[in-house]
Amino acid sequence: MANILIDTRRRRLSDLFGSPRLRRALSEPATLIGIILVVAHLLMALLAPIIAPYDTSALVGAPLQRPSWEFLMGTDQIGRDYFSRVVAGGRIALMVSFLGVAISLFVGTILGVVAGYIGGRTDEIVMRIVDSMMSIPDLILIAILTLALGKDVSALIPVVAVVYTWGVVRVVRAKTISLSTLDFVRAAELRGETRLAVMLREIFPNLIGLLGVELAVRISSAVLRISGLSFLGLGISQPTPDWGLMVQEAMGVVFTDPWFLLLPAIMLSSLIIGVNFMVDGLSRAFGIATAELG
Amino acid sequence: MTQIPHIDVRNLRLVYKTGPGTELAAVDDISFSIGKGETLGIVGESGCGKSSLARAFLAYTRPGARIAGGSVLVSGTDILSLDAAQLLQFRGRKAAMVPQNPLSSLTPHRTIGQHMVELIRQHNAAGSLTPRDKALELLAAMELPDPAAIFKRYPHQLSGGQRQRVVIAAALVAEPELIILDEPTTALDKTVETQVLDLVSRLQKRTGTTLIYVSHDLNVVARMCERVLVMQKGKVLEDGPTLEVFTQPKTEYARSLIAAIPKLRSDAKSAPLKVAVDAPVLSVRDLDFTYGGGGSKLLRRLFPGPAPSRTLDDISLSITPGSTLGVVGESGSGKSTLAGLVAGLVDGNGGKILFEGKQLTGLATSRDRDLRRRVQMIFQDPASSLNPQHTVEQIIARPLQIFFGMSRAASRDRVVELLQELDLDASLLARSPRQLSGGQQQRVAIARAFACKPDLVLCDEITSALDVTVQAQVLKQMKRLQQEHNTAYLFISHDLPVVAEMSDQILVLEKGQVRDYADTGTILTNPKSPYTRKLLDAFSTASAQAAQRTVKHVS
Repeated sequence: MANILIDTRRRRLSDLFGSPRLRRALSEPATLIGIILVVAHLLMALLAPIIAPYDTSALVGAPLQRPSWEFLMGTDQIGRDYFSRVVAGGRIALMVSFLGVAISLFVGTILGVVAGYIGGRTDEIVMRIVDSMMSIPDLILIAILTLALGKDVSALIPVVAVVYTWGVVRVVRAKTISLSTLDFVRAAELRGETRLAVMLREIFPNLIGLLGVELAVRISSAVLRISGLSFLGLGISQPTPDWGLMVQEAMGVVFTDPWFLLLPAIMLSSLIIGVNFMVDGLSRAFGIATAELG
Repeated sequence: MTQIPHIDVRNLRLVYKTGPGTELAAVDDISFSIGKGETLGIVGESGCGKSSLARAFLAYTRPGARIAGGSVLVSGTDILSLDAAQLLQFRGRKAAMVPQNPLSSLTPHRTIGQHMVELIRQHNAAGSLTPRDKALELLAAMELPDPAAIFKRYPHQLSGGQRQRVVIAAALVAEPELIILDEPTTALDKTVETQVLDLVSRLQKRTGTTLIYVSHDLNVVARMCERVLVMQKGKVLEDGPTLEVFTQPKTEYARSLIAAIPKLRSDAKSAPLKVAVDAPVLSVRDLDFTYGGGGSKLLRRLFPGPAPSRTLDDISLSITPGSTLGVVGESGSGKSTLAGLVAGLVDGNGGKILFEGKQLTGLATSRDRDLRRRVQMIFQDPASSLNPQHTVEQIIARPLQIFFGMSRAASRDRVVELLQELDLDASLLARSPRQLSGGQQQRVAIARAFACKPDLVLCDEITSALDVTVQAQVLKQMKRLQQEHNTAYLFISHDLPVVAEMSDQILVLEKGQVRDYADTGTILTNPKSPYTRKLLDAFSTASAQAAQRTVKHVS
């Protein structure tokens, strides 16, 4: 019974860093590598304008130059500095993913908690909507949405939100149902708490650990997906630097200049691997069941 | 008895890794020996290392644990030095274990027959019989009705008692010389437990197997074992003949452990006068409750679920202010449904519940606030009834805010007062329930109930998740609170001695029907129904059981 409870107490930051659980988590090499990768990626995305020596879309040299002190990773097919583009290539995807996933978590949590706690007919209606949305293949859904919303980068935010909400609803609902069987919810009902108070005061605080995991895992999944869309020409478009787009551009020169393909691919995979290692390690240490991605 | 002891434990040390470089000894330098055919009980409270010790007899450790020193000699061989192949030979053939939860030790998708036949093949134990016949023979020896039918069933199709018998049969396949039983009957009802225990001791007498019995239940150990080890914090405190340990414990801890066992006393208090004088705070008349059977006729025809079952059948009772009515029953007797109906967790469908003469109906949310305040409930498992994300202060202050409109600042003093009333320190205010022991948690739950100044408190198995010594404390505090606040209790438990200690009157429930309803003294000395008598036998005191067993053994 007790293991379904999440153990993330309200504590001061200093408590958290001194906690034996965190120390144990950090003693695992994989978790530590994950955290370092994620932090490095975040710093790189935030500081890209400072790190990048050139404007990412400016033509600064002859095309397809080899790496040199002037151009650390050479120049691309039309003569832009490749290092600057690699450094900045995750910014837009990360920001779009973060905003989109935040919206999906907000909406998904509300729907999931309501469906899971109220149950009955409400649950049926919400879950059948979720089922029908999830039965539409993602790519078709995305294609329809991009057609409707236009190809602007900001239009990708609602696309990400719509795609990820339904999985969040399922995960949150399942957790809410298991929490609702616990006696502290009975006790609250016997006190005469309103349904809203039960959901906000009793159930929601127990979801925070799970939502943290969802946020991290889904952002990394969304970054990958946006890159895939960019690769297919549905996501981010020129001249914005984006790893997915850069992989696509590199296809033509893959046999002569393979690092054009390898560099953005390494960036993308190190971010995904980093997030997964970090989340696995932390959720194991803090006893949060990692949810399957819906 | 042979010259060499059957089992010889020497300086055994078993440690758990608790962090980098730190270890905790669960078994701390223990030595003792057991003769062939002896029955040894190992008792102690949770965390004393008894289960870790029991596993060491099979050279097995839980994940995170390791044997740090010493030896376990079984018939002269040190089993801790055996290699994997030898261990496989040893386990099952020389020694077997009956685990606590039979359901998790049987594979759900395989029939009982498949389980048994596999084991019999593995150990070549069939002899001249076919494996199937051998399995049937073993099941029959467990006194299971219709072994051929059991053979074909899946684990979930058996009752708890049947499953436990099957697991014991599985342990007996290769006729091991040593059987370790780890809390084998803790999950069973008391009357079923008695049957299983009797069966085990008959088998033991016939085969002369050495039996190690691990339990937190001293009554069970007294019934089963000639000799008993009392453990605390990884050490053996007492080791001696059962009757001696129970009647003349040498250490303070053993004495407190034995004193904490609730005993059935026939001189129990009874308060018929009080009952007659005061108007009842709660009275229940002809209460019926049926699960299922709802919905339209068409729906029921399309989806015929389980037939509606009557959980409560014509229950009538009354409780006077400041007194306690105990409700005893085994699982499925309907005792929790009764509490749920009074509390307003489930909606009733027949009969009347009157609180001070006013009808209590519907769910708690539809009752008025004052009624909700005056009827409180304390749940069985505090780990579940306290929100792990709230602090102790938030937990106890919430009802103060709701029912008395107290501000946060005003409620703090009152929370501290309530904590002190339950002998809890004010320093616990900012703790989360997870940082408290089981006993502290349950006392916080009690404080939350008493924050409401209730007139009636429904106690649903409130001590069954606690160790005996903690249970004794909590019961004492509950009695004190009752006297100070003149609160009435509806005290529900499967544990008859606990109920008898707490209650002025007792109601015995079986299958939703009242079997007995009288004051405590009468129930204990002169019960009307045979069912109550059976319960009384199952719960007779540890020393009485030990004495009885000794007599049986001699004759």
